Amino acid sequence: MIKLEKLHKYYDRQHVLKGIDLTVEKGEVVAVLGPSGSGKSTLLRCINFLEDPTSGIVEIGGKRVDAATAKKKEIFALRTATGMVFQQYNLFKNLTVLQNVSVGLTSVKRMKKDAADQKGIEMLEQVGLSNKLNHYPAQLSGGQQQRVGIARALALDPEVLLFDEPTSSLDPELVDEVLATIRRVADTGKTMFIVTHELSFAREISDRVIFMEDGVIIEQGTAEQIFTEPAVERTRQFLGKAVQG
Amino acid sequence: MENLLDVNFLIESFPAILSRLPVTIGIAVGSLLLSLIIGVAAALIKIYKVPVLSVITSIYISFIRGTPLLVQIYLVFYGIPKIIYFLQSEYGWLQSADVNSIAPEFYALMAFSINLGAYLSETIRSAIESVDRGQFEAAKAIGMTPVQMMLKIVFPQALTVAIPNLGNMFISTIKDTSLVFIIGVIDIMGQAKILGSRGLAFFEVYIAVSIVYWILCIAVERLLVKIEKRARRYERGIA
Repeated sequence: MIKLEKLHKYYDRQHVLKGIDLTVEKGEVVAVLGPSGSGKSTLLRCINFLEDPTSGIVEIGGKRVDAATAKKKEIFALRTATGMVFQQYNLFKNLTVLQNVSVGLTSVKRMKKDAADQKGIEMLEQVGLSNKLNHYPAQLSGGQQQRVGIARALALDPEVLLFDEPTSSLDPELVDEVLATIRRVADTGKTMFIVTHELSFAREISDRVIFMEDGVIIEQGTAEQIFTEPAVERTRQFLGKAVQG
Repeated sequence: MENLLDVNFLIESFPAILSRLPVTIGIAVGSLLLSLIIGVAAALIKIYKVPVLSVITSIYISFIRGTPLLVQIYLVFYGIPKIIYFLQSEYGWLQSADVNSIAPEFYALMAFSINLGAYLSETIRSAIESVDRGQFEAAKAIGMTPVQMMLKIVFPQALTVAIPNLGNMFISTIKDTSLVFIIGVIDIMGQAKILGSRGLAFFEVYIAVSIVYWILCIAVERLLVKIEKRARRYERGIA
């Protein structure tokens, strides 16, 4: 379970998150939608302190961290409780596919190399890339790289997976394989938090949709509710335009 | 008739010169390794903008770049014994060190490490900064400590980027080691000088020593190409 309380983020004077309160239940898949600059990526990145929230509380699986007093150890706990998938994949270019997935297990979880490799192979099987173990990221397509990214995030058994626009830098024809992979992970009951521009995918996969603008959550509800009868005019406008576009 | 060259003397001088090759290579390789440590430390201090230390680092780099290597060698050669002596007499530190027994090779190694470290730090800094920020974030996100991130992800890639520059600096250093005879180190240059004065055949020995430097540098260049190729193997895309 993730719980965010009164989360604020300032960049200098710019107020990017204006007091976000949010609870995500175990096993829930939450999609965050909103125009560029609405703060949705910042929200995601504040959950694992890739951005330090200016104030507020992040709680994951019972570990409660106050942004004002967050210590290194607490931030480390949040980071190991979350797995993150990036827009630009951010694979480690000097490591093979398998090493990308197992490096967290050996260096962070102190697992033996053999066990880490075995687990890494398992994770790569899940994303359909067990035939590319010894390839380097530069030898893979964008879609394949992103699937490695998902395997890397899964390997540490996080309580929640954070997706930061996972398909936004992919060629259109590679989007489907990544979405299919995310869907398969969702089916295993993982808690997921997905920032995305793929509206139809968000509608199909998520239990709940959150619509953000200007640093606040404007509206949230089930996917059906938000997509068929949004209560707020701005949501209707955004979804309508995006569907047409 | 006067001969231009005493070819026999030239050829006969090679074995004696080559016998000092380990000194030249030792100082060059030793100072490369030490200067890598200095360079990485200085680069990290500047990247992380460590207070006080980053100012000291900037002054160090500026000083090394702005003074001749020859002067730096003299500063180390005359300065270190004075400093050690001062520490011994004023504070009672380093009592076991005997200033008179320090080999000139040690001073040469120090001077070249300090010199090369300053130049390497800038190369290393830009190489570290060339690793894209996304990978730093990914490393943080899986819970790596900054040290793990540097050792496993950033340094291997930064070193690969830096190899051509490091290589050029290393080759320069090999050639610069020809200065060390001025503090009494008998390297290949020092040996050539000795042979030259003994036989009054300076032109011959300097030809011989220049051939040794030349071949050494070509060999190192070849080696660097191989190392770079190997280090860059992960960058090759779909063939």
